[in-house]
Amino acid sequence: MILEAEKLIKAFGGLRAVDGVSLEIEEKELSAIIGTNGAGKTTLFNLLTGGSKCDSGRVIFNGEDITTLHPYEICQKGIGRSFQVTNIFPRLNTFENIQVAVLSAQGMSKKLFSPSRKMAQEETSEILESVGLSDQKDVLGSLLAHGDRRRLDIGIALAIHPELLLLDEPTAGMSPKESLEITELIQKLARERGLPLVFIEHDMNIVFSISEKVRVMHQGRIIFEGKPEEVKANDEVQEIYLGEKV
Amino acid sequence: MSTEAIIGSVISGLSTGMVFFLVAAGLSVIFGALDIINLAHGSFYMVGTFFCFQSTLWLGSIPGVYWWTVILAPIGVALVGGLTERVFLRRIYDVHILYQLILTFAFILIVEEFCKLIWGVGYHTISVPWPLTGAVSIGGMRFPVYNLFLIGFGIVTFVGLEALFHSTGLGKTIRGVTYNREMAGALGINVPLVYTGVFMLGCWLAGLAGTLMAPMTVVKLGSDMDVLLNCFIVVVIGGLGSLPGAFIGATILGLVTSFGIAIVPGLAIVFGFLLMAIILIIRPYGLMGERVE
Amino acid sequence: MKEFFKGITGINRVWLAVVFSVFLVLPFILSPSWLSITTEILILSVAACGLNLLIGYCGRVNFGPAGLYGVGAYATGLLLEKTGIPFAVAMIGGPVIAGIIALPVGWFCVRRTSHYFALLSLAFGQIIWAAIHSWYSFTGGDDGIAGIRTPDFLMSIPSYYYFTLVIFAICLVVLWMICNSTFGKTLQAIRENPHRVEFIGINVRKYLLIAFIIHGFFLGAAGSLYCGFSHAIFPVYASFLKGNDILIPCILGGIYNFIGPVVGVTVYIFLSKVISAYTMYWLLFLGIVIVLVVLFLRGGIVGFISEKLSPAMQRRGVSGDTRG
Repeated sequence: MILEAEKLIKAFGGLRAVDGVSLEIEEKELSAIIGTNGAGKTTLFNLLTGGSKCDSGRVIFNGEDITTLHPYEICQKGIGRSFQVTNIFPRLNTFENIQVAVLSAQGMSKKLFSPSRKMAQEETSEILESVGLSDQKDVLGSLLAHGDRRRLDIGIALAIHPELLLLDEPTAGMSPKESLEITELIQKLARERGLPLVFIEHDMNIVFSISEKVRVMHQGRIIFEGKPEEVKANDEVQEIYLGEKV
Repeated sequence: MSTEAIIGSVISGLSTGMVFFLVAAGLSVIFGALDIINLAHGSFYMVGTFFCFQSTLWLGSIPGVYWWTVILAPIGVALVGGLTERVFLRRIYDVHILYQLILTFAFILIVEEFCKLIWGVGYHTISVPWPLTGAVSIGGMRFPVYNLFLIGFGIVTFVGLEALFHSTGLGKTIRGVTYNREMAGALGINVPLVYTGVFMLGCWLAGLAGTLMAPMTVVKLGSDMDVLLNCFIVVVIGGLGSLPGAFIGATILGLVTSFGIAIVPGLAIVFGFLLMAIILIIRPYGLMGERVE
Repeated sequence: MKEFFKGITGINRVWLAVVFSVFLVLPFILSPSWLSITTEILILSVAACGLNLLIGYCGRVNFGPAGLYGVGAYATGLLLEKTGIPFAVAMIGGPVIAGIIALPVGWFCVRRTSHYFALLSLAFGQIIWAAIHSWYSFTGGDDGIAGIRTPDFLMSIPSYYYFTLVIFAICLVVLWMICNSTFGKTLQAIRENPHRVEFIGINVRKYLLIAFIIHGFFLGAAGSLYCGFSHAIFPVYASFLKGNDILIPCILGGIYNFIGPVVGVTVYIFLSKVISAYTMYWLLFLGIVIVLVVLFLRGGIVGFISEKLSPAMQRRGVSGDTRG
């Protein structure tokens, strides 16, 4: 078990976005979190990565209590994350977007006199390669196509040497072809790097094709957890997805 | 300090505070709605003082000439402000704050030079208008009537503005635009027009402050900078975008400065900035501003 | 360190050599008053480049830079005037003390963003100014201190010019290395997306604080140089208006290029001297120029030129240029 969350609660105003969520993420996990809009999925990610403070509950990563740590500290401990709304460095080019993260992971960010032109070249190139952006390495982040920007977002998360990767709707806004490519990428990352990976998704095809485990969230709680087939067969889940009014 | 000196400082502090409020209210309102820190706000104040002076020249010796300028001069300033907003500020609303600061600073330069061009570098004075000349005795102490008038006027203006923002349709529109520009636009509100209107209101207030202040001080170049820094202190203390905050902040600053001058004249100038820094450190959104993350 | 210089391509090396040679022979070409102006340009460039580390690379605006500049000037001036320590030590003392003061100032400022950062830095700048202005017994208050002696060999205009040129070159080289280092790249990431950068393991406040102290050091260095140049220290060195003398050239030249502030300072000082000779409305001219730059030339002069010269390069990333 690499990450354990105990009864996490987060409320905004009077509304509990996350209402007593507990989960355990295993070391070789490739799983998905699904749920209708507003179920609390992104908030949950925020709580796990330090982006929001829990009202109560604990998060334990590799045996260490990380509940109250800042995002940058949690990052240094090894949790990487990509975002639902693309979150990159617009005026840096693609190479630099990744490089900056690699430098941080290598502990090279504070060097006042190490030329950035020379550092972290190999590792950055390798990550660019693995997310399929090598041919665009000189393009400014802001000028990338949407699909490439999502890849970059994932690449940046990958670059910090994570031991656990959390991807928030990685295929959001993508064409079917691009979604397929990203799905393959995710699978490759999990397999080749042995990286435990949890992703939030709305596209059920993707969810059922690659994930080994699915957690269903609804109104701030995990209402079901199990293999994809089990989720498909579950009545309550069916009701929520089919009976829910937007 | 003797009781007389204390009360004297209080009255003087309050009346200065009210003038600060009138100027700072405009700055605060503009920031609240347009998200712009208008460095040239002090300049609009100064233009107000000059318009007031110029009006007294033009209107000559008609009775109650000063009161006519109180009506005319602020409107003139508002028009200048509206022009500025439409032509220049409109283009930099969503740009990095540095450009807003530098652009509005450039306005300071341009306005100063134009004032220099038109009215020269000399001082001008305006006499305190009838019937507010002289002083009254209250409890055995004498206070200039004009100071008391300013205090009263400030309170009335504050109440009036609050009423405008909270009880009228126009006020609700402005508040809607302040909270959520896109939403307001989607609801059919002509956002650019509201922006121009709010900016003009802010300039009108600054011009009014200048006009009211003119009889109490001299009309001169450089009055913009004196006012500007005090303005900032007020809106920081009170909270950028909050009108009640500006009122409280102005009162505090007026009193602090007044007592500061009385007690430790040499260090009086430090107090204002120290207060500003302290507020920014412990509670950046000021006493009454909206919490910002 | 050598690796930095390997990165300067052949043609740029030629340019640098040419420019530096020109600077070396200026005392033989220019009149003493113009040489004096050039010295001022060099000094203000150090300040502007230091300030731009914060503005252009970190994306935060120090709206009261004259405070730390004034600290540098006064530290050096007071050390020279009131103690017998050697000139070199007093000159170093300026930037060092400015850097030390920048620590608490920066510590508070980096906890704020955008408007509040600007206002707080302004407040601190004004507090420093007010302290200098009021502390008559220590700083001479409003009168300032004049007639500060520098070593004899630096008393002539050409000799102080060379002295400034050397310090200027050293400061710019160091700043250039910092801006092009991994630290500099990380600062740019902070500028681009202060939220995301936390999620790559960067403690934003710590990095900004380091940058703030460095920028304070260079502002102080410029102040120091100016003290030696003018042989005097006055509270106006720390005033809000002096601060704008440092800020405006950054915008004029372009905050997204390393050399922008230097170009901006040159244009700014040059114009101010030339135009004030013809008219007493130089500030009006300046105001109009600023308006035009802010509305139409947001990358500043250097930004504009580099876009015209190589639009393709602007779209791609070119290392060494903060635009990416």
